[in-house]
Amino acid sequence: MTAVTTVLPISPQGSPASVTAPLPLVRSDVRMDPVVTQGPALLAGITAGPGLEAHRHRVGPAARPSADELAGWARAVDLRGRGGAGFPAAIKLVSAHRRRAVVVVNAAEGEPASRKDAALMALAPHVVLDGAAAVAHGLGTREVHVVVPSELPSVRAGVAEALRERVRAGERVKWQLHDAAASFVAGQASAVLELLAGRENLPVTTWEPATISGHRRRPTLLSNAETYAQLGHLARVGPHGYAAHGTAAEPGTTLVTLRGDGWDPSVREVAYGTPLADILTRSEMGQPLLVGGYHGTWLKPAQMQALALSRADIAEAGATLGAGVLLPLTAGWCPLVRTEALVDYLARQSARRCGPCRNGLPALAGALGDLVHRGGRVGPVAELCGLVAGRGACAHPDGTARLVTSMLTRFPEEVDLHSLGECRGGGQEVFG
Amino acid sequence: MIDSLLSPAGPTSFMNGPQLWFANRGTGFVLLLLLTLATMLGVLSTARMSPRRWPRMLTQGLHRNVSMLAVTFLAAHVATAVADTFVDIAWYNAFVPGTGTYKPLWLGLGALGLDLLIAVCATSLLRHRMSHRPWRAIHAAAYAAWGLGLVHGLQMGTDAGSPWGAALSYGCIAVVLAAVLARLGLLLRPKLVTS
Amino acid sequence: MSVHTLRVDWPSCQAHGLCAEILPEIVSLDQWGYPIVHEPVSGQVLDMARNAVKACPTLALRLTQAPKRH
Repeated sequence: MTAVTTVLPISPQGSPASVTAPLPLVRSDVRMDPVVTQGPALLAGITAGPGLEAHRHRVGPAARPSADELAGWARAVDLRGRGGAGFPAAIKLVSAHRRRAVVVVNAAEGEPASRKDAALMALAPHVVLDGAAAVAHGLGTREVHVVVPSELPSVRAGVAEALRERVRAGERVKWQLHDAAASFVAGQASAVLELLAGRENLPVTTWEPATISGHRRRPTLLSNAETYAQLGHLARVGPHGYAAHGTAAEPGTTLVTLRGDGWDPSVREVAYGTPLADILTRSEMGQPLLVGGYHGTWLKPAQMQALALSRADIAEAGATLGAGVLLPLTAGWCPLVRTEALVDYLARQSARRCGPCRNGLPALAGALGDLVHRGGRVGPVAELCGLVAGRGACAHPDGTARLVTSMLTRFPEEVDLHSLGECRGGGQEVFG
Repeated sequence: MIDSLLSPAGPTSFMNGPQLWFANRGTGFVLLLLLTLATMLGVLSTARMSPRRWPRMLTQGLHRNVSMLAVTFLAAHVATAVADTFVDIAWYNAFVPGTGTYKPLWLGLGALGLDLLIAVCATSLLRHRMSHRPWRAIHAAAYAAWGLGLVHGLQMGTDAGSPWGAALSYGCIAVVLAAVLARLGLLLRPKLVTS
Repeated sequence: MSVHTLRVDWPSCQAHGLCAEILPEIVSLDQWGYPIVHEPVSGQVLDMARNAVKACPTLALRLTQAPKRH
């Protein structure tokens, strides 16, 4: 578990620059290759390469549990989706277990700070695909769609090759590969279903859950790539094997992306219950931490000291792990300035389909900019947060409002300072 | 006079006297006015331009009512043409373009316009039972129906040559042109009303 | 008494504002003209809510029985 592997080049850009160079503003176009560490379960085989032969050599033949069995196991270990919403996988499995189901593997990962799905698809595609195949078999279907980000052509090529390997090996699954647009909201569930339907890769209002009526009105199990990897691992080792890592209350592991949008991103497989202090550096433990990514929540150093990477712990601290994104604030920088830069980016990522989001997010970014850089008031910011939440086809405005609200809640002294036109942190010269 | 109106045949009977022809021309002109008004109201319904204290529901309601009134006048226009025995127009000439014997081309345009209006009317009565996009596509045919009706009227009738007839026609053309430009956003940028 | 939720199909909503005229009890408009639904629909308001659903020029309203997700 100590072997460290530098990922195969999965970014359009080349090698990491010097870590002393200024941190990029929210740059989704410059994506450094994350360092991916070998892990105990999902990432156990990355040192042997992404090929099918090496994978089979390590794990044996693909597991074929029934849907009921797999759902029962998923319930036993409380397996949650890894796409951000954390929905119980067992419920989705049971709900989709009807005639003519469709399986969709969502590796679109629109968030710039999340790199785990790209890492999985590039370095351990068969771990994911085994899970998808097992679920498809359990649901009695052969139709599996895999959605990859279009801005990472090397990942796509790797996945395409992995699918070819499986077909050559005689697997009876009808795989279909799709390219998601290079935007933040492209990975959203309804946006993915729109892509599969041949329409624009943007969110629409859903009146029924996908498991009831999804792709072509068929029961559709759409889940994150890592969720399938977890299900595949569970299918192979069973609940007892699955509980070999993690805690009794939260068995298993989860993939975490650290500093995902920075110069030295890394992806790690972490067992639930691991202390945060074992994941972050000492310096990072002394800085505010953005948990859950760009739609996430801030934590202060005081809250982090005794915190473990556990859903319960993090919920008690008032945050959610989301898609496992951890963004420590660079030492000496101001969390308000960082948040404002993120909100500015998020506003520009609106699909521009829904009035409250198309109008509200830029207004929120403007009001926040006033507060952070021009000594403005808190009132308009809080009001706009309330106005955009829950009024859109997807959760993009909700997540943005959540980020801003957490900033206002966690850093009241900084907010007061900024209202007076002062700031005790830095980063203005990069972000401003 | 009543006797002569009610007698079935004869040179001045109702069926081939000038009354039905006048009624036909009259309903035709009123129809043009109503369809023009309906088009204008329809565009105003979408532009979200409502002056203060003018409920948006009222514009939508007027559009609907004026359209229904136009359909009634259309029925009367067709009925008077068919009943009038001075010119040979069968009932199905009004629905099937090109089957008429009297000015078949221009009559046919009117029939085509009527067919389109039937489609527009039927889909609008069932609007909430169908998907919005197909409804909108069919509803756009109303513009074409208006144009077909205008040309039909200019070519079939003799009144367009008269000063008042020409003025009316030009006036209606101007209104619909303005409505179309506004709908395309090229005229009168629509403002949102804050309530 | 059955409780319904008035839900907005946001990509379809073009801020015509008829819903706020028909249902001022539960719908108001934000500064850009888009509806804010304040409470669930029940009892006396149900008929007017159905009218609002029919009146919407872009058919962007639906009455559902399930509570709002999100």
